[in-house]
Amino acid sequence: MKSGERKTLNQSDQNEFINSIQSSFKNTSYNFDTLKINVDISSWIDTHKILKKDFNLSFFNWLSAVDWDNEVKTGDAPKEPVTPSFEILSCLSQTNSNNLVISSTVISKENAEIESLVDVFAGANWHEREACEMFGINFLNHPNLTKLYLPDDYEGNPLLKSFELISREVKPWPGDVDVEGMPEESIVVEEKGS
Amino acid sequence: MSQTMDPNNMPFLSEASVSVEIETEDMTLNIGPQHPSTHGVLRLVAKVNGEKISSVEPVLGYMHRGYEKLAEVRTYPQVTTLVNRIDWVSGFANEIPFIAGAEKLMEIEVPERAQYIRLILTEMARISSHFVFNGAFPLEIGALTPIFLAMEDRERVLDLLESVTGGRFHPNFNRIGGVKPVAGAGPTTKKDIQDLPAGFYHDTKVAMEKVLKAVDTFEDLIGGNEVFQARTKKVGILTKEVAEEYGVSGPILRASGVEFDLRKQSDYLPYDKFDFEIPIGENGDCFDRWSVRTSEMRESAKIILQAIEDMPSGPIQAKVPKVIKVPKGQTYVRAENPKGEMGYYIISEGGLGPYRLKIRTASFSNISILPIMLEGALLPDLIAIMGSLDFVLGDVDR
Repeated sequence: MKSGERKTLNQSDQNEFINSIQSSFKNTSYNFDTLKINVDISSWIDTHKILKKDFNLSFFNWLSAVDWDNEVKTGDAPKEPVTPSFEILSCLSQTNSNNLVISSTVISKENAEIESLVDVFAGANWHEREACEMFGINFLNHPNLTKLYLPDDYEGNPLLKSFELISREVKPWPGDVDVEGMPEESIVVEEKGS
Repeated sequence: MSQTMDPNNMPFLSEASVSVEIETEDMTLNIGPQHPSTHGVLRLVAKVNGEKISSVEPVLGYMHRGYEKLAEVRTYPQVTTLVNRIDWVSGFANEIPFIAGAEKLMEIEVPERAQYIRLILTEMARISSHFVFNGAFPLEIGALTPIFLAMEDRERVLDLLESVTGGRFHPNFNRIGGVKPVAGAGPTTKKDIQDLPAGFYHDTKVAMEKVLKAVDTFEDLIGGNEVFQARTKKVGILTKEVAEEYGVSGPILRASGVEFDLRKQSDYLPYDKFDFEIPIGENGDCFDRWSVRTSEMRESAKIILQAIEDMPSGPIQAKVPKVIKVPKGQTYVRAENPKGEMGYYIISEGGLGPYRLKIRTASFSNISILPIMLEGALLPDLIAIMGSLDFVLGDVDR
């Protein structure tokens, strides 16, 4: 019983939090239990400062990017055409409730640079280094924007949609085919048929 | 424990000072990537002055497998095979947030029995992960005995996991909308299909009682050991503020005194039906991190014992289309994994696979504090601090 009460309490707290975010930021959405704020690139840093200070979102969860493009070399292209761009996502949360906010901003592919968050959240350091090597996004004023995972002499940005998965070119993914018999089995079937 | 020494007033190794002052130069020391205490292939480039570390730069990527890219060319049911291998010490727990995210986007209600099975196996994964920690951490700082006890007891839990899922490390057991029926369990048209092997409840009860006993043994054998205390108490102190800023989660965050556990806060699995405590630490040192994890094993065993008592009957799989297509949408689902918060940001464009899958792993953020924690520490403490963070390189590099 106790736990049931706690849950309803959380629920009303969460609704209050979502309402306060939605009244403070213009462009927000709440779908599939995920609260997302879309901000302009110029207010990227300020948004995080406000979220940290006024909304008590002091837990830096993660930062990453999305490559939006209609021509893709790996995977499926979006069904509806999109404007080619990079979307930067960051996730902040609280450590006394389940409240969580995803901040999003869109930057152009030609001028792929954005101010670094390291001064607001020191934990953004490694996340930004990863986004830099994977997408080729330049984080301005980052203290050490070197490669994190990839070798220093690696060329290309693997998570770009234009980056081919070479192993897939050499040998198509066997999972593409729906369940089929093992080679031995199919031979047996042929013999029976003939 | 002997009465001659009060553990609270012990001369700590970290406070011990060298009596002779010798002029020394900074030396660059390369630790790893193949070093037993690095839990895989982490490389640290440390600048040391004598025994004191002046700075540390972790070098990652030796285990980078590019799962975020690989997920883009796979269908949703195929992705679970990948995510099993992120944190291989608790493979089962990795599947939960991904499957829960896909179910959220598809708006599927998972049957209660399937949720209970998921919950029991997740807690078993947590126990087995903490057993590895209780073996490896003392071993790294010189205690050889615990690992033999821990591995033996862990095997009992892994046997249970294997009897249900067929795999000890990579179960690949969750399906969108439920869990996999046991192989050879009979026709699925029956009302109650056999999803758990015969004797599972009895074996679980026996194993959990053994776990509870093992925790008592560890608290006595490891926690009561004066050498262990001297090596871990007041070593590698992490404050709450630094932990939050770097996104450090899980037992490490709780050891720093933050009472935050997604099992209590979130509803990805029906944890609200069970009675359990969140162990927290006071000082945020290596000893607290050990003690929080060890107490957690007790709570996990308690949850499992409660769950098998009131296990609901019914189906284990919701109705799903034959070809899984996830409608357009974005969601972030996170779960409390043994190592901390693990989450998946799924961007679906309505296709067979995700358009983009961001994988947030616990160990990545957890070891990003290494440069701060190791600055000014003694070289022998480096091993204690790294061991107490309990990271897995697959979870760091993805």
